[in-house]
Amino acid sequence: MRRSSAALREERGAIERRASRKAPPLSVPAALSRGGACRLEGWLVHVVPSGQSGVPGGEGCPSAVSLLCKMAASGRRRLLSHGRCWFSQTESAAPPQSPDSLYPPIVASATAKSKAAKRRRLEYFNQRVHAAASIEEKLRLYGQLQRPKYMLYPQTFALNADRWYRSFTKTVFVPGLPPRAVSAAAKAPGAVAPEAAKTPEGAAGVAPEAAKAPAPGTAAPGAAKTPGLAAGAAPYLDMGELRSLACDALLQESFYQNKKRPYLYRDQDHTPGPFLTQLVSTLAAFLCGRNPLLAASSLDLKPEVNYYWHHGEEVVVHGHRKGRVDPVRFQIDDHPHLQIRVPKQLPEIVPLESDLGDVPVIDHKPSKLPLFKKQYENKVFIGSKVADPCCYGHTQFHLIPDKLKRERFVRANLEDQIEVLYRANGIASLFAWTAAQAMYQGFWNEADVTHPFVSQAVVTDGKYFAFFCYQLNTLALTVETIQNNPRKNICWGTDSKPLYDVVEDGSVKGFNDEVLLQLVRFLLNRPKEL
Amino acid sequence: MATGARKAVYPLFQLGGPQLRIFRPNFYMLVVRPGVPQPEDTVQFRVSMEMTKVDIKNYLEKIYNVPVAAVRTRIQYGANNKRNHKNQRVKKPDYKVAYVQLGQGQTFQFPNLFPEKEQDTETRSFDDFKNTYMEREKQRQKGDPRRGGVPDWFGL
Repeated sequence: MRRSSAALREERGAIERRASRKAPPLSVPAALSRGGACRLEGWLVHVVPSGQSGVPGGEGCPSAVSLLCKMAASGRRRLLSHGRCWFSQTESAAPPQSPDSLYPPIVASATAKSKAAKRRRLEYFNQRVHAAASIEEKLRLYGQLQRPKYMLYPQTFALNADRWYRSFTKTVFVPGLPPRAVSAAAKAPGAVAPEAAKTPEGAAGVAPEAAKAPAPGTAAPGAAKTPGLAAGAAPYLDMGELRSLACDALLQESFYQNKKRPYLYRDQDHTPGPFLTQLVSTLAAFLCGRNPLLAASSLDLKPEVNYYWHHGEEVVVHGHRKGRVDPVRFQIDDHPHLQIRVPKQLPEIVPLESDLGDVPVIDHKPSKLPLFKKQYENKVFIGSKVADPCCYGHTQFHLIPDKLKRERFVRANLEDQIEVLYRANGIASLFAWTAAQAMYQGFWNEADVTHPFVSQAVVTDGKYFAFFCYQLNTLALTVETIQNNPRKNICWGTDSKPLYDVVEDGSVKGFNDEVLLQLVRFLLNRPKEL
Repeated sequence: MATGARKAVYPLFQLGGPQLRIFRPNFYMLVVRPGVPQPEDTVQFRVSMEMTKVDIKNYLEKIYNVPVAAVRTRIQYGANNKRNHKNQRVKKPDYKVAYVQLGQGQTFQFPNLFPEKEQDTETRSFDDFKNTYMEREKQRQKGDPRRGGVPDWFGL
């Protein structure tokens, strides 16, 4: 192609201007010295083979060509630095050339306004995250780009929120707890069946209970409370002991302790909050002997759990990015009342590829829930930083706030939404926690989990308890990764049941042993090796 | 349709006469088709600017026996950009939009008010006849096809 002399002159002028700039050495293909053709990003340079006739134009001199290549390379780098910084560093390495090809591989542009260029930029981003040196670096790159995102609140007044949350997190909800959580019937009338629910029957012989230092704050020696057990004999839980522990905590908080009247809308922080903390701490300390995992666990008070993910696509409505197709971003910022983190992972409940139900599909925008968008830090956090040895989750305890108490729902004729609130809380909080745990192990939506992550949660408002189990089978929820992904996350959950009927005159009326037993079973859950 | 409230006029009270105080709402609520897809249990209304969420809930529950779970409202600003023949700006009126979520698991789908009328054989045959007649007339208006679309008012 003949280029006009004006264009050539201008190009030579540009080359001279850039000649003073320092350029990195770029290996020039050997063919250039012979005058072959070389194509570079942004500059089309036709280097004519000196033998051919009839095709004038272009630089025939090899030295000028190599200079041009160098200038082009430096110019190419400068072009990228003006653009989006989150992908610019990837362009510095030239694509490797196999020895048999004379020319660099032909790939799509990285800066053009085209779909191929966008795909290439995404590929580079994925490569960078895959090749990140540490988990912190990976998390930093994953949440580097900030854009408006939907804020999901696990405890929400929105109607039918659990259906929406199941759709956003690709979760199947199975009513009732998984079969292995339902232990065998009570073997002895007075004593409760052993915690064979979580441990195989063969391993019923528990290691001798050693009073280990339990959760921070409570130093009650467990040995004094646990009944004596013969080594090898099937241990049984003394329901009387456990019941007395629970009633003590309840009465202490609500009857014996002299408290002033609760402040307006602070009822939950007045009695049920401290009761829950006390109950869990004492039960965990009591059961340390039976469950060595609890002894090595870490109990967090009012921790923070965050997770950020993409799911689905939408078109940007207004702004300077109007018309572009963007992934829909979500963020959960959860504040459970208590959580127990352990150094070993809980065993999987069902195999990774199980299909136990359907995930609801919604065909309208999430903002109709109502759900609102905000732009702030994309945080992924399980309650402790990455270096903490207790990086797997065991149980979370959530307290329902005053705004969402049962009485308010009943007064507004929304009785069916009470259970919805518990379910939505369980699903959203557990999804965020398990997914954050998976990210702490290095998985993300391009590198899906290889083994399921299991956690448990108890949602309560002080009197009514609901139990939830969650198994995270997949993190791949983005548009590209969800297409060939048959896996679904599974959540098991119960309805809310009262622990007691009423507390009056220094005694607890109508205490429900089943609920306490379920709580104890949750706490005794542990991997099969232990 | 204006959805405003009118001032209620009660009969003048004379001594010894009955005291009539009947409080009836003077509003109207208009069900509209949503512009963007809404959840199945959500109904979209245009209501009077003076109505509140509580008013809307009570209106629907007491008068129409519709169980209402939640109400959200917003005010839509009517644009003021159009100009009339005197170059004065003409304002489109503001209105309040209410999104009502129905309770007890009820759903609502805005009906199709202008369905395609199914044609019986008479109308269909008449339509076919009309189409063939029109085509034949058009064919007659066209000139000689051998002239290739060139008009025939000149030449031989």
